[in-house]
Amino acid sequence: METSKNIKKKIETTFDVLDTINDVNVSPFFKDKTLQRLYAEKEEVTTAGFGWFTPKLQLATLICILIINVFGIYQMTKTEYDSNITEFAKLYELSGNQQPSLFN
Amino acid sequence: MDETTFINDLQQGKREAYSRLLDEYQQRVFHTCLSFVPNREDAEDVAQEVFVEVFRSIQKFKGNSKLSTWIYRISTNKSLEFIRKKNTKKRFAFMHSIFGNEIPLDKTSYFTEMNHPGILLENKEKSETIFRAIHQLPEAQRVVFTLHKIDGLSYKEIGEITEKSVSSVESLMFRAKKNLQKILANFYKNES
Repeated sequence: METSKNIKKKIETTFDVLDTINDVNVSPFFKDKTLQRLYAEKEEVTTAGFGWFTPKLQLATLICILIINVFGIYQMTKTEYDSNITEFAKLYELSGNQQPSLFN
Repeated sequence: MDETTFINDLQQGKREAYSRLLDEYQQRVFHTCLSFVPNREDAEDVAQEVFVEVFRSIQKFKGNSKLSTWIYRISTNKSLEFIRKKNTKKRFAFMHSIFGNEIPLDKTSYFTEMNHPGILLENKEKSETIFRAIHQLPEAQRVVFTLHKIDGLSYKEIGEITEKSVSSVESLMFRAKKNLQKILANFYKNES
């Protein structure tokens, strides 16, 4: 059985080991390897297809599409549109009830 | 070139700026990583991850701290992340071995194969003991102890990196030393 004095001494010498650790130089290839990896990542990021289509652009596009649709629906439901069409059909004799039929 | 211009160049992704960054910081980053992960290959992998993170996150760097402090913080976080991942892998392998799956199990509790090139051969056994003991400390104590005793940083620098006051760094250091003494005392008692 070790005495507490011995254990205390062992603990102290174990702590002292930390002061004897020498500096270690990084591998001479580390810089080149890391630079290569960084710029390979950059290329990956820039070549990714829809990278330019940022959330801001996506929102702006969505708003434009909505506005165009609302405008279109509004135009379609306007009664003026129907009357214009009827007038146009009459003018060019395209109206269904005015078409002469071979079977009449 | 002042630090602001240098950071601007980094944010623009200029290759010369990254080349300079590596010249200035590769040794320091590697040293910090090696302090946490005492294995040359693993420490180099972690150091590389640090520079990749700098490259990805430099746009978010607002200059609230010095660039060196920010890089040290990333180095510490990446090292801790690496240790956590390795520990999870060890636990996973252990569970598999319990359920009879054939995964070779490394029975040591340490997360990596210890291979610190700066440790003298005659101190190998003792250094393994102290590194294992440090590994058993709570994370906050482990970070402060490693950065101070192995990486050689001052309390002020550690405070800036960990975003803690100098007095709390001192208190963590005190508790870390006390806990290490207990762990080592138990180890040597059981050894005899």
